[in-house]
Amino acid sequence: MIVDASKKTPLTLVVNGQAHTVKVEPRRLLSDVLRDNCGQTGTHVGCEHGVCGACTVLLDGRPARSCLTYAVQMDGASIETIESKSAAGKLSALQQALHEKHGLQCGFCTPGIVMTMEAWLKDNPEPTEEGVREALSGNICRCTGYQNIVDAVLSAAKELKGDRA
Amino acid sequence: MKPARFAYASPATLPEALSLLAGHEDARIIAGGQSLVPMMNMRIAQPELLVDINRIEGLSGVRFDGDHLVIGTLTRHADLAANGLVREHAPILAHAASTIGHYAIRQRGTIGGSLSHADPAAQLPLIGMLLDAEIEVKSTGGERTIPAVEFFEALFTTTLEPGEMVVSIRVPVLPNGHGWGFNLFNRRSGDFAEVNAAALVLGQGAETSVRLALGAVVSAPVRVDDMLPPFNEANSAWAAEAAKVVAAETPVEPNARIPEDYRREILQALVESTLFDAMRRS
Amino acid sequence: MTGTEIIGRSDLRREDRRLLTGQGRYLDDIKVHGALHVCFVRSPYAHARIGSIDTRAALEAEGVIGVFTGTDLAQWTTPLRMAPDIEGVLPVEAPTLPIDKVLFIGDPVAVVVATDRYLAEDAAALIEIDYDPLDAVASYEAAVADGAADLYGTVPGNIVSRQVFAGGEPDAIISSAGIVVEARFSQNRVTHAPMETRGCIAEWDEGQQRLTFRVGNQAPHPLRSQLARRLKLDESQVRVICPDIGGAFGQKIALMREELVVAALSRHLQRPVRWQEDRMENLLAAGHARQETCETKAAVTADGRILALTLNMEVDFGAYCFYPANYMARVVAMILTGPYRISNYGYEVKVALTNKCGSGPMRAPMAIASWVMDGTIEAIARELNLDPVEVRRVNMLTDADLPYNMQTGEVLHDITPAKCLDTVLGQVDYDGFRKRQEEDRARGIYRGLGLCNVVEPSTYGSAFYKAAAIPGSGHEAGWVKVEPTGAVNASCGLMGSGHGYETVFAQVVAEGLGVDAENVRIHLGDTDVAPYGMGTRGARGGTAGGGVLLIAAQAVRAKALKIAASLLNLNTADDLRMLGGTVMRKIDGEWQDTGLTLQKIASVAYFDPLALPDGMEPGLEAHRAYDPPAMTYSNAAHACEVLVDVRTGKVTVERHTVAEDCGRVMNPIIVEGQQHGAIAMGLSGALLEEVIYDEDGQNITGSFADYSIATAVEIPPMRLVHVGEPTSRTPTGSKGMSEGGIMGSIGAVTSAVNDALAPFGVVADKLPLSPQYIRSLLRGIA
Repeated sequence: MIVDASKKTPLTLVVNGQAHTVKVEPRRLLSDVLRDNCGQTGTHVGCEHGVCGACTVLLDGRPARSCLTYAVQMDGASIETIESKSAAGKLSALQQALHEKHGLQCGFCTPGIVMTMEAWLKDNPEPTEEGVREALSGNICRCTGYQNIVDAVLSAAKELKGDRA
Repeated sequence: MKPARFAYASPATLPEALSLLAGHEDARIIAGGQSLVPMMNMRIAQPELLVDINRIEGLSGVRFDGDHLVIGTLTRHADLAANGLVREHAPILAHAASTIGHYAIRQRGTIGGSLSHADPAAQLPLIGMLLDAEIEVKSTGGERTIPAVEFFEALFTTTLEPGEMVVSIRVPVLPNGHGWGFNLFNRRSGDFAEVNAAALVLGQGAETSVRLALGAVVSAPVRVDDMLPPFNEANSAWAAEAAKVVAAETPVEPNARIPEDYRREILQALVESTLFDAMRRS
Repeated sequence: MTGTEIIGRSDLRREDRRLLTGQGRYLDDIKVHGALHVCFVRSPYAHARIGSIDTRAALEAEGVIGVFTGTDLAQWTTPLRMAPDIEGVLPVEAPTLPIDKVLFIGDPVAVVVATDRYLAEDAAALIEIDYDPLDAVASYEAAVADGAADLYGTVPGNIVSRQVFAGGEPDAIISSAGIVVEARFSQNRVTHAPMETRGCIAEWDEGQQRLTFRVGNQAPHPLRSQLARRLKLDESQVRVICPDIGGAFGQKIALMREELVVAALSRHLQRPVRWQEDRMENLLAAGHARQETCETKAAVTADGRILALTLNMEVDFGAYCFYPANYMARVVAMILTGPYRISNYGYEVKVALTNKCGSGPMRAPMAIASWVMDGTIEAIARELNLDPVEVRRVNMLTDADLPYNMQTGEVLHDITPAKCLDTVLGQVDYDGFRKRQEEDRARGIYRGLGLCNVVEPSTYGSAFYKAAAIPGSGHEAGWVKVEPTGAVNASCGLMGSGHGYETVFAQVVAEGLGVDAENVRIHLGDTDVAPYGMGTRGARGGTAGGGVLLIAAQAVRAKALKIAASLLNLNTADDLRMLGGTVMRKIDGEWQDTGLTLQKIASVAYFDPLALPDGMEPGLEAHRAYDPPAMTYSNAAHACEVLVDVRTGKVTVERHTVAEDCGRVMNPIIVEGQQHGAIAMGLSGALLEEVIYDEDGQNITGSFADYSIATAVEIPPMRLVHVGEPTSRTPTGSKGMSEGGIMGSIGAVTSAVNDALAPFGVVADKLPLSPQYIRSLLRGIA
């Protein structure tokens, strides 16, 4: 039952609907395994201590920092990364809004923001600006000053509501 | 920073988890990992064995047994904040949970993990102290219940013995009409508090009692009910007076980055508004 | 000609698609088969002699290929020698990795090369280094104190740079003046903290005897030159390729030691070697900025007019000089007077070496200047009990003063400070604010409105470097090529890290050439492809990069139209123009489509050259270089509104408004985004960020938990108003921008806090404006 510290143990991670079988030591961060073993480099590493939010993915549908998760914990789990967001080449509502509102510059923090805020919008379909800022405060951006990102989230919320109406 | 190597186990049952803890001195439990993993990634913590309890059934969720809420150790902060039973019977707990860290942190962080980590600035240890929570603990040797006031010992230190694991938390249900207040002071959204305060106002008239708990001032959260001046009337003057007394008299541990006089000033402001909130809500 | 202006359009960004969908390629995303990973062993001491380094256990560790130290690097590379021919700057030389002494906590002392980073870190932990700790020089005061340890033998007393200047008679006027106002400004040490840390991949090709070096860097060609020189290679033996960069802000310009070590290791081991810095290393050792103290003295008249001004500036520079020690401070001193008329000005600037991470330019290295100048004006207003807006006006340059020759030699040609100030005061309803402020104060609520006027130097043409005796030039180079099928490629020597160059430069080329922007592809960052340019810094992207691309595009258009004229059997191309890739001809005053396309012209140029005009070379491309003016100056007025909780000292910024004149705005949404980012970085630095060293030189802010960057909650809504007109001094009509936002926000937020606290008679003059600092001012008073 105990996986030895230096054993490269086989795991199956279902990433964006596709099963990846990898063999890694228990200490391998999920962020590294997604990037190095599963070929999904859209998830970025900004700090490895859970503060910046750049590495946020969905674990079984809930946003989580992949740098605070060991891949071995996710055996059999379903993981969604930024690569899942633009189905068939079409940008999601939030991605499109970020584009239109110039809500990204260097783009390094962007995948983490998309993963976090799309999940948050599902829970909060009628957000206020204050609510958006609070929700966004778990993702650090050094380029944009946040304003255009906030506008994009609010705009996407309207768009999504319109679709549901 | 990449962590040092560790062995890993993901037991499916509680007895297996306890047996692993008993058999390995340098084992640590991972629940949400939001506090433990940063320490491991920075190699500040280097457990030899990580016991992952996330697969164990029956350790999460909230139930009501008449006069207590019984909260499973794996209950995530987000779920605690949204839980109907908690919001009804201990709203301060739901509110405090909703303020922990950030949205993504709350999806993973757990109550058991937070209490076991025992950061004196954290929300749940503070609320645990305020509500006289009881922490139910198991090991291969048996089980015991530790009152909150005996659970938090010092900075990041609890009275858990080696091999012991938190399995649930019992929170006495608060009576209808109680008032509560919770405030924390931080410099930036989502940061740990530099000071936090939580208060309850229970009963009415001559039967009114007030509880006050403070966090981040010493190495564990503390109850300072005894420090409060006698309660005669629920008004802002009393709250102001009480805050002044508490800020002046409560022990404050020195901290290189936060000078004592400053911390007492924040404390005073925070305690005043917390007591006032509690009175207002009751 | 209406409808043809592509520069100035709010084109959405082409970069976005790949960045939004996780298909950007940042350094760490690039896979290199067989690459080895490095981990640096870093000093835990601020100042210590290095004794023995025991690598035996590390060498035995799993996956380890080798462990190397300063003596190895000294064989493979030349030392870092910073000895500019600048008066007052002492030479400093350091080996690639320290051999005798470590000079700051985080100083890399050894390097492990292993098959992956996890194993490299394991091995690094096994290395035993015998340090003999020395007294740490942990502050400017400690550095200049009697008996302080010298960090370098060539810099006794640790003052590595000292410049003194006087224009007019500032000292004489001040000593005989009736009213002299003194003020002090103490800025915090901060760090760039881009979201992507530093990293690089070096691939030495033994067969080709060539190094391919992948790195996120703002100035790929200068980096190539430095790499070649330090590795004792010919410049043609080095190729630098920059992938997508996750932010830089000045931290990714000079060749740093870790990068040089990785390159040298690849050559030594004849294998690809890569490094990705972790966040703790980045905060500890990548580069710091802004730890400066300024004291001003102003001789003034009773109505606040400044007769003379002196500046005394002291800089805590850190231990290593990757830039000349006066590089950043120099600009502060040079432009301090900003938008004000000050005919007698002098300064003394001293830069001290300390046992801290070395400083480098961080977006707006001269940031302190606007805070100091406007803060001095506010000190004057307080002293004389005058309205600070009026004191600004009485000193402010007007159109009649232009062009204005600063005492320091800088010339302000086309700034509009009064217009910006008026605009911003109108935007925030200044009088209305004062009324509301009074009502708030009666209820114990303390709001403040702060102002700061900015004059932002940008572009830095070659004449600037020459006048400053700083080695280097300021021109930019570019090429535009129309391919045989009519596709357009273009390049220049800049490298963006979020700047939107792929979009804006396409707009510039499109307008210059006469095609649609979608048909233009911009190539940046590969030194084998791009021409030798000076890189992205000093807010020069629009002016220098845009400028050269416009010139090159226009040259290609001219050739294309000449070919067109010939194909249309016309004597001259005067009546032809290119629009949307089609040649138009003016017939009887109306433009008509000739049916001749750029594509057709290109195919003739490449595949039917005998049909070209006599003497014309085949092909359709142009290479140009452009040296912009020594300096272009944008200007802005910032207004910041804050709420101060006097009980806790917490400052909440409620709104930030800016009126800016940056000449022609090349792409409004991109320019606005740059402004937002600059304001946010300035506010974050002034309120929350601080690199803290204790008195033993220990850096206690080595993680994002301790080094606090503002989130979306702390950064307020921002409103920007554009003022001004295209300048005639640059080809694109733009004046450069993107750093002024930091200068203005630091000054304005401090001014706002002081305005809020005015009833208490206290003045904040130290950053960051932390709650505990604000409370320390109010203690005993409120």
